[in-house]
Amino acid sequence: MIEVQNIAHTFLIGKKGAEQPIHVLKAISFTIKPKEIVAIVGKSGSGKSTLLQVMAGFMKADTGSVKINGKETTGLNEAEHAAFRLTNFGFVFQNFQLMPGLTAAENIELPLKLQGIPASERKSRVEALMQRIGLAEVAAHYPNELSGGQQQRVSIGRALITNPPIILADEPTGSLDSETEQEILQLIADLNKAFGITFVIITHDDEVASFAHRRLKMHDGQLKEEA
Amino acid sequence: MLLKDQLDFVKQHIVKNKMRVFMTILAATIGCAFLIVLASVGFGLQQTVKNEILSDEAVTRIQLYDDSLTKERAASLKDEDNVKAVVQKTHLPMALKSELDDREAHSEGKFYDMTAFQKVNGKLAQGSYPKAADEIVVGYHYAQRLMNEADQEAYNEKVEAANKKQENYMGEDEGFKGNIVGQTVTLTVENDEEQQVVKPFKVVGILQAPSYEWMIDNQVIFSDKAINFFAGLQPDPFPSEYIIHMDSMENVKPLLTKLKKEGLGVYSVIEQMDQINVFFAVFKAGLLFVGTIAVLIASIGIFNTMTMAVTERTREIGVLKAIGASPKLIQRLFLMESAFIGIVGTVIAVIISYVISVTVNFALPIVLEMATGEDIGEREMIFSAIPWQLVVIASAISIGVAMISGWRPARKATKIDVIQALRQEV
Ligand SMILES: Nc1ncnc2c1ncn2[C@@H]1O[C@H](COP(=O)(O)OP(=O)(O)OP(=O)(O)O)[C@@H](O)[C@H]1O
Ligand SMILES: [Mg+2]
Repeated sequence: MIEVQNIAHTFLIGKKGAEQPIHVLKAISFTIKPKEIVAIVGKSGSGKSTLLQVMAGFMKADTGSVKINGKETTGLNEAEHAAFRLTNFGFVFQNFQLMPGLTAAENIELPLKLQGIPASERKSRVEALMQRIGLAEVAAHYPNELSGGQQQRVSIGRALITNPPIILADEPTGSLDSETEQEILQLIADLNKAFGITFVIITHDDEVASFAHRRLKMHDGQLKEEA
Repeated sequence: MLLKDQLDFVKQHIVKNKMRVFMTILAATIGCAFLIVLASVGFGLQQTVKNEILSDEAVTRIQLYDDSLTKERAASLKDEDNVKAVVQKTHLPMALKSELDDREAHSEGKFYDMTAFQKVNGKLAQGSYPKAADEIVVGYHYAQRLMNEADQEAYNEKVEAANKKQENYMGEDEGFKGNIVGQTVTLTVENDEEQQVVKPFKVVGILQAPSYEWMIDNQVIFSDKAINFFAGLQPDPFPSEYIIHMDSMENVKPLLTKLKKEGLGVYSVIEQMDQINVFFAVFKAGLLFVGTIAVLIASIGIFNTMTMAVTERTREIGVLKAIGASPKLIQRLFLMESAFIGIVGTVIAVIISYVISVTVNFALPIVLEMATGEDIGEREMIFSAIPWQLVVIASAISIGVAMISGWRPARKATKIDVIQALRQEV
């Protein structure tokens, strides 16, 4: 499902002329199989988010290759990457990243609009999904009228609505209390079972980590399997 | 993304920033209306001048005056393409005095081949064309100008009085009041060498009134057979010219050019029109240029608005890109917004311009009349005209400028870095 090979990336930080290199990713290789829930753990600043951004195509790594679903995505340009993301990935962020001007239902609908799906089909799909993930009641609410847990559900809904094979989540429970975190994890487990969606979850929360099928630990620019 | 969804998206953002968008549209409207109204003055004045020239029947005529014209060429003129008629016009190059009882008048005399003349001149106001050599048709004001001494005095007084009031007196009250058609007048022609011909002629017809109200037409038209009566008078022969009547204005130019190439002396008012058109083309271009500056100033507003729109939506654009919106789509959404501003501004500007134009054409003559005391209402002045070409040019300029000024902000939106954008505080 996801094959990462020899990804290496170095950031240059500091003032111009006196930059210092930070080798965030040093030749990282790993594979994630279909229907897996994989947690990527590691200290803050170890490069977890950077790795996810490379996988998603938000940025280019210095070297290495990423293969998603058998397709080499490393060489894609910005527009091709965007089109690829639209059908292959769902994203969940720590701070939800919902559109403040759109209701919960409209936020979930957004990727379908980007896909050019007609309004009637969009409506029925969004309704069905919101029912499924327990958001039917708050469909007409704007993000600032929702609790953190509800917002994260909406953002998971938005990631799911296009039926992507993979969902990439960066600290999805990072801003939620432990009870709400449990709810969200339960939802992830359900969706994984029901639809066979592959989840890659970045976390530094042990609870989340132990919930995953497999853990990969970022350390010193390397990624190691954790027991 | 479906077009309808794109439009919805744009609409949503416009509604969210109503005030800002409104002000920007207002600026675009003012700029574009200024451009149209300014240029409309050029179009209006051009039309006034053009109408002035076109209302003269002379536009379909070519005058040919040349001694080098051979009889054969003169005869073949009527076989040229699009020629309706060729009329030879011979001038009586000396004073012509008409007498009827105690009345007399002085006029110009002309000789025509009556068949050709009738063909181009059309209907008479009264009577018929001359058949015999001693029959004449006269100008519309001929009878009015036949004055005795008493008439002359009254006329002079009235003209003087009218002049004081800055008015015009044409002499309607004086002159021969009976029907001039059927009368026999005695014509006297005299040259500088004191040669003289005195002969009675019968008036058989009256020409139509001249096309301008202020024109006095008291000419005497002879049949060309009448030339013989004046034989021996110097100069001999009388000067004559050919007037070529074309079927339409467009066909004047080609023949004019052809005759010029033959080395013949020709003239047509159409030639003036060319010069006038060139003048107005330059004039209008100048006005358009000045007007475009106003549009450019308005475009700064559009640029600002769009830059602001992009900046404050950086995070949203980042999210859109993250979930798979292509840079092209994002650029298009923002271009649509600036196009909306440009199009709405232009449409309103066109409507406003028409209103201003109509108002100006209606009100300005009245204002000028009050200010100068001169009566210009009758002259049908057009101060401002908005032909469709002007609407097209102005719309192209202002919508084009709107798109160009929205282009950079839209580009900027596509360049937004997803990672940076997502980092922004919610
Ligand atoms: N755009 C950037 N320019 C320079 N350095 C960067 C940039 N992005 C990240 N870094 C650096 O790369 C390192 C890895 O950052 P990253 O965000 O991947 O860490 P992380 O593991 O996700 O940390 P956290 O758990 O706190 O989110 C950090 O030292 C950070 O300072
Ligand atoms: Mg991180």
